[in-house]
Amino acid sequence: MQSSLSELEETYITLQAKIGVLLAACQTQDQRDALSAQYVAARTAYWSCINKAFHDDDPTVVALTNQLDASNKQLQTYVTELGEINTTIANITQVVTIGAQLAAKVIP
Amino acid sequence: MSIRPIAPRRRSAHAIAAILFLACCFSSACKTSDDAAAAATQLTATAQSLTDYYSALDTVLANTDRLNSVQVVLYGIPYDDAAKAQIADARAEIQKRAAVAESLTNLAQNFTKLTGSTAATDASASAGKLEDEVKTLGASKTFASSSPEMAVLNDALGAIVSAIQEKKERDAAKGMSKFAQGLDELFAKEVPVYESLNTQYVAISSSLAVTMLTKGQTDPTGFFTVALNPYALTPEVTDPALKDGFAKIAVNQVGEKAAALNKSQQDATESMEQSLKQMARRIDLVANDKPMQASTAPVTLANVEKWASQFTSSTPATSPAKAATTSTATKAK
Repeated sequence: MQSSLSELEETYITLQAKIGVLLAACQTQDQRDALSAQYVAARTAYWSCINKAFHDDDPTVVALTNQLDASNKQLQTYVTELGEINTTIANITQVVTIGAQLAAKVIP
Repeated sequence: MSIRPIAPRRRSAHAIAAILFLACCFSSACKTSDDAAAAATQLTATAQSLTDYYSALDTVLANTDRLNSVQVVLYGIPYDDAAKAQIADARAEIQKRAAVAESLTNLAQNFTKLTGSTAATDASASAGKLEDEVKTLGASKTFASSSPEMAVLNDALGAIVSAIQEKKERDAAKGMSKFAQGLDELFAKEVPVYESLNTQYVAISSSLAVTMLTKGQTDPTGFFTVALNPYALTPEVTDPALKDGFAKIAVNQVGEKAAALNKSQQDATESMEQSLKQMARRIDLVANDKPMQASTAPVTLANVEKWASQFTSSTPATSPAKAATTSTATKAK
C-alpha cells in the first residue's frame, strides 16, 4: 500500500510545482480564487497528515490512499497538459477532495 | 526554545567527556576499556549529530513559513493563522526532539563527574532533565504513532536516573542501552516525516525560484561577472536576449540544486539512522559485558554535517513575521 503521507505530499507538491503556470492560465478572478482554494486545501491536508498519526490499518484509509494514488497520476496529466482551465480546476478539485477525505481520517 | 547552533568543534570535548563517562559507567561490565571508549565516542558523536540534524530540520520549517509568505505576494495565495499554526506545531515537535538529543549529549558529559559527590548530583539532574524532555515528547501527538518508542525511552530513563542516584553503574549502563535502542526506533519510525518536510521545502523554494526567473525578477549580473572580473569591469545587462539566456540556464541550475538538496538530506538521514543503530548495538554489547566486533569502523556522520551545514547561517532567530493573513498583491492581472 502507498503511504498516506506520500500520497498527500504528492498532491500538494504537484500543485505547488505548477501553481504559477496554472494561475497564469486563469482568465477570471473567480478561476484564480477557485484554484487558490484548492491549493490551500491540498496544503492543509498535507500538514494535517504531518502533524498527526494515521490509522494505517483502517480500511477506509487504505481505500482512500489507493484512490488518491490513482488520482495523483491523473493530476500529473491535468497540470502538465493543461486543457481548458475550468475543466482543469474541476479535475484538481476532485483529487484534492479525496486528499481532504484522507486527511480527515487523521487521529484527533 | 532556542536551538543551539551547530558547533562541531565542541565534539572532541564531548567525546573525551563521554569516554570517561562510559569507562566509569561500564568499568564493572567491560573487560576492555577500548570497547567502552569506542561506544562512548559514538554515543557523543551521534547525539551531537542528531542535534544538528534536528536543528537543520527546524530551519527548514522556519524557511517554509517564510516561503509561504512569499507565495502570498507572488501568487496571492492566502496564508492564514491556521496554516501558520500547522507549521508552527511541526516546528515545536522538531525542537522537542532537538532538545532530547542535546540533553543526551549533556548527560554523557555530566556522567564524567560521577566519581565526585557534587558531580553525581549533576549527572542525576542532567538525567532527570532528559527524562522530563522525553516525557514532553511522549505527550505530543505529532508524528507517526510513536507511543511504544516513547514508552521505551521513558522506562530506560527512569532506570538511568535511579541507577545514578544509587550509584549502580551496571544498571545505568543497561538503562543507557535501552535508551539508545529506543532513540534508534523512534528515529527510524519518523524518517518518512523528516524526508517529507525537506521534500516540500525544496519543492516550494525551487518552484518560487523558477517563477521569479521566468518573470525576469532576478538580477543576472552575478552570472556575467566571471567574464568581466579579470578586467575590473562590472556587467550591466540590459539586452532581453541575454536575460532570457541567463534565465534558461538558471532554471536548469535550480532543478539540479533541488535534486541535490533532496539527495543530500536522504544521505544524511541514512547515515543518521545507521549511526543510531550502530551506537545502540555497541552500547548494548558493552553494557552486557560482551566483546565488540573488532575494528568495525563507526558510521561516518559527515553526510549529516554536510546537509545540516547548509542551514546554519540562515536560521532565523525567531519565527518570521506575522504573515500576511489574506491574499494580497497579485490579485491577477
